[in-house]
Amino acid sequence: MYREALREAIDEEMARNDLVFIIGEGIAERGGSYKVTEGLLDKYGSLRVRDTPIAEAGMIGVGVGAAIAGARPIVEILYVDFAMLGMDMIVNQAAKFRLMTGGDGRVPFVMRTQGGTGGGVAAQHSQSLEALFYHIPGLKVVMPSTPADAKGLLKYAMRQDDPVMFLEHKHLYMTKGMVPDGEHIIEFGKGDIKRSGTDVTLIAWSNMIPRSLEAAAELAEQGISVEVIDPRTLVPLDREMILQSVSKTKRAVIVQEANRRGGIASDIASIIQEEAFWDLDAPVEIVAGLDIPVPFNLTLEAASVPQKPDIVAAVKRCIHQDNYSAAAE
Amino acid sequence: MAEAILVPQVGQDLTEATVVELHVKVGDKVAKGDLVAVVESEKASFEVEAFAEGFVINLPYSVGDVATVLEPLMHLGAEGETVAPTASASASEPATSSVVDVQSSVSELKTNSKKSSMAVDGPLRASPAARKRVFEAGQMLSQFRGSGPLGAIVLRDVEAQLSTVAAQTAGAQSVPGLKNLKSGHGDPIIFIHGFGSDLSSWRPTVGQLGLENPMYALDLPGHGSCWDLKAKSFDELVDYVAQTISPLGGSLHLVGHSLGAAVAVALSERGSIDIRSMSLLSPAGMGAGINAQFIDGFLGAKSEAALKTWMQSLVRDPDDMAPVLVRATLKARSEADLVGSQQELARGLFENGTQLFSIVNGLRRFNGAASVVIGTDDAIVQSSDVIARTPPHAALYKLSGIGHLPQIECPSLVNTIVARTVKSAS
Repeated sequence: MYREALREAIDEEMARNDLVFIIGEGIAERGGSYKVTEGLLDKYGSLRVRDTPIAEAGMIGVGVGAAIAGARPIVEILYVDFAMLGMDMIVNQAAKFRLMTGGDGRVPFVMRTQGGTGGGVAAQHSQSLEALFYHIPGLKVVMPSTPADAKGLLKYAMRQDDPVMFLEHKHLYMTKGMVPDGEHIIEFGKGDIKRSGTDVTLIAWSNMIPRSLEAAAELAEQGISVEVIDPRTLVPLDREMILQSVSKTKRAVIVQEANRRGGIASDIASIIQEEAFWDLDAPVEIVAGLDIPVPFNLTLEAASVPQKPDIVAAVKRCIHQDNYSAAAE
Repeated sequence: MAEAILVPQVGQDLTEATVVELHVKVGDKVAKGDLVAVVESEKASFEVEAFAEGFVINLPYSVGDVATVLEPLMHLGAEGETVAPTASASASEPATSSVVDVQSSVSELKTNSKKSSMAVDGPLRASPAARKRVFEAGQMLSQFRGSGPLGAIVLRDVEAQLSTVAAQTAGAQSVPGLKNLKSGHGDPIIFIHGFGSDLSSWRPTVGQLGLENPMYALDLPGHGSCWDLKAKSFDELVDYVAQTISPLGGSLHLVGHSLGAAVAVALSERGSIDIRSMSLLSPAGMGAGINAQFIDGFLGAKSEAALKTWMQSLVRDPDDMAPVLVRATLKARSEADLVGSQQELARGLFENGTQLFSIVNGLRRFNGAASVVIGTDDAIVQSSDVIARTPPHAALYKLSGIGHLPQIECPSLVNTIVARTVKSAS
């Protein structure tokens, strides 16, 4: 399971390096709201696995400061929405420190948190805020979609000297998948082809990967071959994999759960049109959340973010299938 | 009888011309010499005149339409007369054949000819990938029909159309020096033009034969696009043609006019090519005499009026020599030194009215199907020689009241003869 894979990564890295410690709300005694850190307190003691008060600004500040001082902290923030309280430490301190010390300083700081919709937990607990971090030079942004990726990427993150925003998804903690034992490490900037195809390239991340794979399976039954690409890390972004796939399929659909405006999908679309313009047979499609606060009502919440039929429809627009259908009538 | 005014050849080897002005409409009476239309290609524009008096009884084009060169632009006839639809009508809608099943992985999706109704007015729309593919294939975007949003040409349209073309020409290889005038299947038919002409003279014939065979034509050295290839003797001409068509391999049918007919027979003597049939129109080399005055006058003519006089001697009825052909010849001469090359060639072929080559023995030895077509009023070669020396196994068609250009003077009859000759040997 995704959460077990994360725990395995933290456990292995804590065993490997005494400088690694983890702090967060309810992560020690209760094992974390999502049970990622269960059992770690017993194993590593209260010095390295620490509960904190509900004070995100303080937690993030502690984490950034400890990282600058040479430790390797993991700060777990219960909801990415709450990370806003620590934005100054992240944006103005962690992201800039290495550059502003002439390259001498290091901030090996990992913020683990989770976002996304899916529980009817309303507008302040459901956001997908990766674009905020993506926008800030100096931050790495990681969004694993599978248990194996979660472990490999977290282990790699914990060995970096620069701040990493490790963004999990509240819907993925219970997903299952094979996870390699031991030294399973996934470098940043290496995307993964989650499904190979020839007609359309579908780019998605985090919880949009399982949804895109479902759409691809449905489309396959209709004879449409979709390639699903998971960049896994948004910063750095595996542009090469995206461009190679698009030059093969000539069509791209980007799916993001976050609302459309100012999103990462728009940035990837601009990269595609700039680098692969002459390979495109259709405009790049973006399937994204609506530009509204996520509604509390479960039906409205579902309507506010991409669902399988939205993805299927976008792929069909891309291959101009509507024109066929209309013409055949 | 309805007579066609042809779309002029508006430049070397161009197949299409845009109708930019029309000065008549169906039912109008025109006098000989009236300006009826102006057509334009990327190279030049041509005024088209009526060659005879009559009424416009058929005018399939509007201003802005693209017309096929040397196909009828309009028909003249008696008042109230109608013209039977000909195969050339299909030439105005070539794009429809391009609508085929899509060769994409979206196999169950089919294109539909109705989709052209999706098109909207405006600039030609095409996806970047489609544009790139068209460019790589060396084609023009305007040749493709779009099935995408707002009628845009998308990749599948290009791929489908290109694969159709590829399939059609699969049996017809691309050979340097040979122009593929029509794709098809079966043994290829090669057309060889006469002295002073070029391969484009066969375009009207090709579409009217009703044969499925792939059809090729070539320009003889000193003619058309090969104007700068010097040939100084008949043998050099034959060498060139033998070399040019050899990549085709297999069996061939030859159709030659005048000098081209002589080259065809000489090729059969080489024995290196399996020639199934020969259709020889007004063949040269069947006797000693040739109209030297014509050769000199034709090559020496500088003005349209002078050239017209000489070219009219090719046909019995001067009206059969469409002014557009005279102008096209003049135009071609202005673009390349055809005259110089042809004068040089003429010196190697003819000497004071004597033909320096003979195909009489060659034709006698040819054991494939052969047809000889000769007009009794041929002013260039002596019809009596041709008639006397055509061997018994060749079919001889004596056409009374016809001059040196039977394919222009009585095209349907000549087309029937050629088609029959090819079929008899298939």
